[in-house]
Amino acid sequence: MKLKKLTAFILSALLITGLTACGSSDKASGANSEEAPSQTTEASADKTTLRMAWWGSQARHDATVKVIEMYEAQNPTIDIEYEFYDFDGYFTKLNTLVASNTVWDIFQLGGNFPTYMDKIVPVGEYVDSGIVDVSNTNDSFLSTTTWEDKLLGLSNGVNCYGIAYDPQLFSEAGVPEPTENWTWEDYKNACLQIHEKLGIYGSSKLDDFIGGASMGISQEDYALNFFASSNDKLGFDDPMMLKDYFAMRQELVKAGAYPDPGAIFEIKDIEGDYLVTGDAAMTWVASNQMPTIAAAAGREIKLATVPRKKADGPSGSTIQSSQMLCISKDSKVPEEAAKFINFFINDPEANKVLNGERGVPIMSNIRETLEAEADEAKKEMYSFVSLIGTFKTGEINVISPARKTEIEDQYKLLIEQVIYDEKTPEQAAQEIYDFAKKKFE
Amino acid sequence: MEGKAVGINFKNRASKIIYHCFIIVFGFIMVYPVLWMITGSLKNNAEILNSSLSIIPPNWRWSNFVTGWKGFGGIGFATYFKNSFLVSGLATFATVISSACVAYALARIKFRGRKIWFTAMLCTMMLPAQIILIPQYIIYNRLGFVGSIIPLVLPHFFGQAFFIFQMMQFTSGIPRELDEAATIDGCSKYSIFTRIILPLLKPSIVTTIIIQFYWKWDDFMGPLIYLNKPQTYTVSIAIKLFADASSTTDFGAMFAMSTLSLIPVFLIFLFFNKYLVEGISTSGLKG
Amino acid sequence: MMNDNIKKKMCLNKILHNDNTVGYVFAAPFIIGFLGFTIIPILVSLYYSFTNYNLTTSETWIGLQNYARLFQDTRFLKSVRVTLIYVLTSVPLKLIFALFIAYLLTKKSRGVTFYRSLYYVPSLIGGSIAVALVWKELFSTRGLINSLFISAGLEKVSWFGDQKMAMIPLVLMSVWQFGSSMIIFAAGLKEISPTYYEAAKIDGANKRQIFSHITLPCLSPIILYNLVMQTISAFMSFTQAFVITRGGPNDATNFYALYVYNQAFKYYDMGYASAMSWVMLIIMSLITFLIFKSSKRWVFSEAGE
Repeated sequence: MKLKKLTAFILSALLITGLTACGSSDKASGANSEEAPSQTTEASADKTTLRMAWWGSQARHDATVKVIEMYEAQNPTIDIEYEFYDFDGYFTKLNTLVASNTVWDIFQLGGNFPTYMDKIVPVGEYVDSGIVDVSNTNDSFLSTTTWEDKLLGLSNGVNCYGIAYDPQLFSEAGVPEPTENWTWEDYKNACLQIHEKLGIYGSSKLDDFIGGASMGISQEDYALNFFASSNDKLGFDDPMMLKDYFAMRQELVKAGAYPDPGAIFEIKDIEGDYLVTGDAAMTWVASNQMPTIAAAAGREIKLATVPRKKADGPSGSTIQSSQMLCISKDSKVPEEAAKFINFFINDPEANKVLNGERGVPIMSNIRETLEAEADEAKKEMYSFVSLIGTFKTGEINVISPARKTEIEDQYKLLIEQVIYDEKTPEQAAQEIYDFAKKKFE
Repeated sequence: MEGKAVGINFKNRASKIIYHCFIIVFGFIMVYPVLWMITGSLKNNAEILNSSLSIIPPNWRWSNFVTGWKGFGGIGFATYFKNSFLVSGLATFATVISSACVAYALARIKFRGRKIWFTAMLCTMMLPAQIILIPQYIIYNRLGFVGSIIPLVLPHFFGQAFFIFQMMQFTSGIPRELDEAATIDGCSKYSIFTRIILPLLKPSIVTTIIIQFYWKWDDFMGPLIYLNKPQTYTVSIAIKLFADASSTTDFGAMFAMSTLSLIPVFLIFLFFNKYLVEGISTSGLKG
Repeated sequence: MMNDNIKKKMCLNKILHNDNTVGYVFAAPFIIGFLGFTIIPILVSLYYSFTNYNLTTSETWIGLQNYARLFQDTRFLKSVRVTLIYVLTSVPLKLIFALFIAYLLTKKSRGVTFYRSLYYVPSLIGGSIAVALVWKELFSTRGLINSLFISAGLEKVSWFGDQKMAMIPLVLMSVWQFGSSMIIFAAGLKEISPTYYEAAKIDGANKRQIFSHITLPCLSPIILYNLVMQTISAFMSFTQAFVITRGGPNDATNFYALYVYNQAFKYYDMGYASAMSWVMLIIMSLITFLIFKSSKRWVFSEAGE
């Protein structure tokens, strides 16, 4: 008997708290969720629903939702249901949707898009039919999202990688600032000297796989890539091309000029980067992170190119799409999805809200308006991206095959094993080569 | 004689004080991380990351609660809390009812195939959840349940292995003589369950309520996979949205919302706490 | 007529109150759920474990290849080793600790309920993501633990940079959440009849003897219960490693469940991940079986006397 009362009490308590939370403190959204179903049932006859999702930070969520609302206001027959996640959550979710053939109509993808090839309706089809306008951009931008001659999506913004550095710390340590064609040797010496003079790390963490492997191979020769452009095999055949980077990382960590794996691990986000906290003079960034990192540091930060292997050799750098919006094969209204993507990329007002947070816009008119209003850090970003655009490049493959993540993890594991003296740089180079090769058999 | 008594008294007192001091100091160390998080909700990022030792916030920044409460993309934490309450409340209720029934069957009734079902239950406890995620998702999707809270709540109506096992343990502690006496009085097996077993299971039920509630409240993977509108997100997903490594994280707001998210769990616990241990040991024996 | 009706009723009653009927009526929820939402997915995953399913393209049958691959995968073998170390250190420590605190708190003294709640707090909120972040902070280079080390005149430790050390924060976090085991022990301790203690005291046993000859044997069924439950959950621990160490450095904390997750949701190697979880299931069943088997020797049961 007592128990019955008890359960009844708990239940009513739970229900009451649940209901009051819904009824009082949250009138706006409570009303929303109650009206939403009736709206869809009534309106389903004349309203089209688009499902859309992306990953990112709070700023991105807020801006993107605003743009969606702008679009809905202009197109009363369209109802956009959106979802947003952090990066890991997004891909876990996307994979479950892929498995059940229910991918969102419009979804965001990065460099790993070949994994999802089977799920994408190429946006190029809608360029041909005139729904999507690409007159304000050119092929070099469009090629960042082209694969097997199909324009898969439109880039939300382009990016390139660089080294952000603190010129003040460089001059205190008596190290010359990086030039356009500085080398890994220069980078290493700068790290060692800064550490020796100032006692801080020369450099915060690099993106090892991009720096050491994918760019590293492209820096050997204009014709080489880590992954062949066909993305079904490796694009080089001399494992020892990878050796120097392993050796450099080992030397720098042992000298204390580069954070050890534990210290790297403690970097939580951009604000916690050792460059921002003043514990390092350099760090690796994607150009669209430049405004954030400069704001977080609160002092002058400049952007340098990624070091090369030889001062007169290839830079290995190239402009690439940070993310793009794609239309899914599971969509029943791909045309409406294409219209929205057109708005997202081309509308000047929408892009004022988005404000280049996903990277430098690919449409020249949009770029000009944003550039005119940009602050110092953003200007540095724009000029850096144009600088990289002038570099001579071979056919650099910026697209990652499906197996890349696994190979990248193995590469990072081997770097740690080299640092802990479990393997020599030669062994590690040979091992990652064999590992990667096996993944394409 | 007198002096000796005082001595013992004094010794007793001293040992009592030592005992209490030890427990309190040790307990403080135990909850220090929690306190640090709670007070972190009143600090800004720099204060959180640079002076990780101090508990006392240098400036009491209540504004974290205001910014945090606003949430993301126009959806506030009020919505997320409401969703979490709904999911956790329903799931807890369902778990209690169904697990008690199943535990009764497995612990008390000698039916054919009992051993097989018991083994099956133990196996489900050991199954890594990650691996049946995809097939499970596909089934729910075929049934058209994805996007609602049904996949989050429905499995709880079928009993949860962990709690069934726990309730079985407690049921086996209830003397069989009680059942036998009831049978002589003309009770059927059904009424033995409702009149004898269920009331005596109370401590185990209370434990289940507490544990199931906070498990569901903290659950991250389930809501992530099955909910697909920000309006339906639970608190745990919303908290994770604060932390995206590619940009800056507002730790103050995140800790503020984390602190709030702990309150319901604490309340449930405080409310049922006194039943927890006292109940467990007395009910089965004294009836 | 009458007779027939009564007969029917009796018959129905007999069926209704038959042990088999009652058993299946009460067990029905579990049986339905088990068949629908566990057995089917499990069979599907068993099937996938013999294929190279990668989510996006349809699968092909590759026989035992996934299982053969396991034994050449050095990362996998290391993850088994690491998980075993974690289970073998965290479970005993946690249980000893839980028993110790539960024992301390059986004293009839003011505030015991409050203390018990205090010690339960970590278990109550340990699963939350925020707590994992806090834990990371405590063990960071400038965190609380290192500050204590320095003030004690010791060297700083790079907890997440040293392969030998990285496991310690995770083990400590698991031990820290000893609350639920403690509550169960506390309940068990209360159930031990005071007459045993009195008898022992009359026989002149000291505190240690009482503990090892009375408390421990009486508590053994509960120790068994906690041991089984904690071993299972330790084998499956995922979140701590996922949030705190991400398996590093150099895979030193790459727990089995984490590796399964990565193979499935990071590398999209569903077939391989399914094979891994089947092997895990077998290992765990074996260990649970061994614990139960051994329990016949050390678990003291009142009914047996």
